[in-house]
Amino acid sequence: MKVSLNWLLEFVDLPTRDVGELSRVLAFLGHEVEGVETIEVGWTDVVVAHVDDVQPHPNADKVRLCAVSTGGDPIDVVCGAWNFEAGAKVAFAKPGAVLPGDFQIGVRTIRGVESHGMICSEKELGLGDDAEGILVLEPGAPVGQPLETLLTLPDVVFDLAVTTNRPDAMSILGIARDLAAWYGITVKRPTPNPPTVPGAPDMAVRIDDPVGNPRFFARQVDGVTIRPSPLWMRHRLRLSGVRPIYNIVDVTNYVMLELGQPLHVFDLDRLDGDELVVRRAEEGERLVTLDGVERTLSAADIVICDADGPTSLAGTMGGEDSEVIHTTTRTLIEAASWDPPSIMHTSRRHGLRSEASARFERGVDPELPPLASLRAAELVLETAGGRLRDEAVDVVARPFEPTVVRLTVADVTRILGEGFDSDRIAGLLRRLGFEVEGDNPMIVTVPSYRPDVTRPIDLVEEVARLADYDSFPERLRPGTGGGLTPDQRLERRLRELLVGLGYSQAITLPFVTSSDLEAFDAPSDHELHQTIRVKNPLSDEEAILRPSLLPGLLRVIRHNRNRGASTVAVFEQGRVFHNRPWNRDKRVPDQPVRLAFASIGVVGPADLAGSGVAADGASAAALVRRLAAGLGLHIEFHQDAAPGFHPTRTARITSDGNFVGYVGELHPHTARAFDIEDRVAVGELDMEALLGARRDPEFRPISPYPPADFDLSFEVDAELPAATLADALRQGGGDLVERIEVFDEFRGGNLAPDRKSLAFSVRLRAPDRTLTAEEIGAVREAMIAAAGAKNAVLRGSA
Amino acid sequence: MDLLERLEKARQTAPDAVARAATLAELESVEAALLGKDSDIGAVRRSMGSIDAALRPQVGAKLNEVTKEVTALLEERRSDLERQEAEERLQAERIDMTLPAVEYPLGVLHVLQQTIDEITDIFTSIGYAVADGPEAELAWYNFDALNTPPTHPARFESDTMYLDYGDPADEMLLRTQTSPVQVRWMESHEPPVHIIAPGKTYRTDAIDATHLPVFHQIEGLAVDEDITFADLKGTLHYFAKEFFGPGTKIRLRPHFFPFTEPSAELDVSCFNCDGGEPDCRVCRGAGWLEMLGCGMVDPAVFEAAGYDPEKVTGFAFGIGVERPAMVRYGINDIRNFTDNDLRFLYQFPS
Repeated sequence: MKVSLNWLLEFVDLPTRDVGELSRVLAFLGHEVEGVETIEVGWTDVVVAHVDDVQPHPNADKVRLCAVSTGGDPIDVVCGAWNFEAGAKVAFAKPGAVLPGDFQIGVRTIRGVESHGMICSEKELGLGDDAEGILVLEPGAPVGQPLETLLTLPDVVFDLAVTTNRPDAMSILGIARDLAAWYGITVKRPTPNPPTVPGAPDMAVRIDDPVGNPRFFARQVDGVTIRPSPLWMRHRLRLSGVRPIYNIVDVTNYVMLELGQPLHVFDLDRLDGDELVVRRAEEGERLVTLDGVERTLSAADIVICDADGPTSLAGTMGGEDSEVIHTTTRTLIEAASWDPPSIMHTSRRHGLRSEASARFERGVDPELPPLASLRAAELVLETAGGRLRDEAVDVVARPFEPTVVRLTVADVTRILGEGFDSDRIAGLLRRLGFEVEGDNPMIVTVPSYRPDVTRPIDLVEEVARLADYDSFPERLRPGTGGGLTPDQRLERRLRELLVGLGYSQAITLPFVTSSDLEAFDAPSDHELHQTIRVKNPLSDEEAILRPSLLPGLLRVIRHNRNRGASTVAVFEQGRVFHNRPWNRDKRVPDQPVRLAFASIGVVGPADLAGSGVAADGASAAALVRRLAAGLGLHIEFHQDAAPGFHPTRTARITSDGNFVGYVGELHPHTARAFDIEDRVAVGELDMEALLGARRDPEFRPISPYPPADFDLSFEVDAELPAATLADALRQGGGDLVERIEVFDEFRGGNLAPDRKSLAFSVRLRAPDRTLTAEEIGAVREAMIAAAGAKNAVLRGSA
Repeated sequence: MDLLERLEKARQTAPDAVARAATLAELESVEAALLGKDSDIGAVRRSMGSIDAALRPQVGAKLNEVTKEVTALLEERRSDLERQEAEERLQAERIDMTLPAVEYPLGVLHVLQQTIDEITDIFTSIGYAVADGPEAELAWYNFDALNTPPTHPARFESDTMYLDYGDPADEMLLRTQTSPVQVRWMESHEPPVHIIAPGKTYRTDAIDATHLPVFHQIEGLAVDEDITFADLKGTLHYFAKEFFGPGTKIRLRPHFFPFTEPSAELDVSCFNCDGGEPDCRVCRGAGWLEMLGCGMVDPAVFEAAGYDPEKVTGFAFGIGVERPAMVRYGINDIRNFTDNDLRFLYQFPS
């Protein structure tokens, strides 16, 4: 909200005008200062002039010849504007004047006639955007006076971020009240005292909806003249960010900004009947609002009706058929209280967010209507003339009951700490307008303009706010939480190990598109299709929650590939989402944390030529093996297939039989769908299962005895996974087996097409003795026998 | 020639011959020439059996003496030549050590992860546990339990992403803050509580240089029997000093959050200029940087979570992760974080 310092000073006699100091105080009151603008007088030698005479220019059609006076002899000046006639008061720049933009005014000859100065528009004075015509001043403007005396200049405008809980601060009066409380001084409430004529308004009011409309207050002013507002009012409105329209509308905006009460003015001659009725709209009822839009109403909207039906959308926008127009003379000024949730609903549903609805939504002081409508009437008389009737319509459907809160000293000290007794608490609250009775407990009556305060804790906040947050001491005590859990530490080591192996962490937006998912070609019941959609996405790219981390990583690869990176290795850790209940909380969707990686190019060290081990299914498996070995994770590999994965280069990972994830090479079709031509090493693992695969190490003494090494080479079915045979050999070999490694895989040669050769190096060792030749031979035979059970035939041995 | 003379001749010529050997191979020839069968020394040694017994001790002594001397010369020379040849070999192996002939691949943690880890470490070092919670969340945890009225604007679709899941009455959404973790933790743990909860949060924000629909927050919650505003200030000042440097000052400004009261925004003194420079690139002369929202836990939140607000008090805070990272490193476009361009990621080695 924009707040003019000069306007504030009309309500509170601040002890300082220092902008920095006031900004600081406003911030410490909770009204963050988002900007400060200094408004200076932008001209010299511009005065109020009377237009004595207007004549056609002898040599031109588009300009006229005017005689103006500023107190002395008439001055001849040529003017191109047509929005005034003789008798008007105008802003006249005398020869020698300087206008904003260093615009020098002198004596010029225009089409053969000397022009001694210039009649100025608002735009030329830097007062507004209106360049259509010249600035016409109010009739009472004193001739010869410097123009700046009609305004309060210089001025400072603070742009405040008023928090949503403080509707009372959405006005000059409200900010003045807070500042006065801070400085311990009094705020000057306005005391409008316009002249009146006897009589009551011609319109009665009936409230059929006491929930929606607790109070309806109205005053009548007859005989008004619609015209532009005086310069000072237009200027103030502009400083507040409100565009001036004409006097009646400007007055309602002015009073709303000043006191916080939104107002509405009806043209009584355009209303039917002699009674306004406030009620909920009927479903489907129609109303053309003053923006010219025909709106279909719902039963939640509150409407003000005349004999002809709805004529105004309460608290939100007036109706076109009863709004003030340029011929209006009889006006009814409405100042009402509306139910905040109802107004919020209406303004949201109809997309009618306005300064008025913003205030009603949050809660306008229910005691304000009499004062605000009187202030408005005063300003209408001043700017539009007319006669105010001395009686008002005041229908109270639901009387305001002030909130009373019981507050103990302990309520305050247990939150704010020591240093508060009842005297200090009561003193601070009273400065904010609260009435306090009693000592401990204190019985606190909340002022009508603070709907946000209903509980002791709300009062504690008020005490803290005025006591100044900066004044509180600091205390640091250790917590009882105990730091990271073993799993959390393991998770960190896992990320750090990936980083050490050359993978960089990506953080992607957790959304996928339907074409991302199609690229995986998964069966319809696969989890990739159990997606969850956002109901109100901003775009198609942010409409489906990711069921897998892989699409995001593939986009990262594409992004970097397209920017010239031939080697990319990335991983991501994060939640994926599926349309089924979560095992950790059945009320919300499945959203396990996963770890995924993807790489193209070279993995591991590369030489100058860039050669090294290529990213593919084998290197993907190697990465997972390395992670497992480095972190003590016990996992198993099973040859398998999965959507999006290469049909013959994929392994399912388990731990003690529990599913962990898939690792391998991306299916070339899937890669191509992401515009990637390279082989892509990929894997996606469930984090909980992975961390659960960790076994605490068990110490085995280092044997001082020599090992027995030998190789075994088998001919096996081409489909037989090496891991299966290695497991069989380990089982067959028993406890003496220290290590079994595959050192060769061979196909072709004299082998049948469906056979292959696998060669293992075996190391045996006993903890307590040197193995004898007999023992070694027995183990070897046992291993060969175990391999035979897998249809593996010994090819020869060394 | 007399045997003693032959030995003496061998002794005299040996140093020159040894010195002339320029390689180990040449030295071997020299050795053969000096000590071999056909050499003077070799000849004397061969004839030892046949010489006069009276002369034998004298010749024998001389033979040993000269052999020892020549052998020592050869050994010395061999050692020199070996060293020299080894040195030549090493010289020939020269590589340009300024040239990165082999490269290990570089991996880095994401700068946001680094920031989260750093903040986490600050709080775990003073006894906080790390909690976690769902991102697809019930409106009850994200709003109702956090004392957010049904009409609060934050609930509108213009701010919050709702999910098409389950019973529409349950109102499933993407959490707009990490604060729901507060309630979930309190539901399943007795006080005292000292936790932080880092994680993703979601808002209906169109993507531009300063907005992403998904960003990270670190929630904090401390609950005990005697926690006051002083604990909130002391703890967050400690955090600010650890994160931005020991001289960092803080200030608290009143603010509004439904789930804390009193609520505050915390500013930290500018780490770049300490408030001294009107043109500071970081604070633009303000001297302060808006860092986080915080406050004393609202009694209504304790009630929703099953704690007795008469028995416990607490404070809570929420730290954005992207903004401190942007401010600290001068990152001017938030989209860098989710583009994951390696040229960006590599600028922040972990």
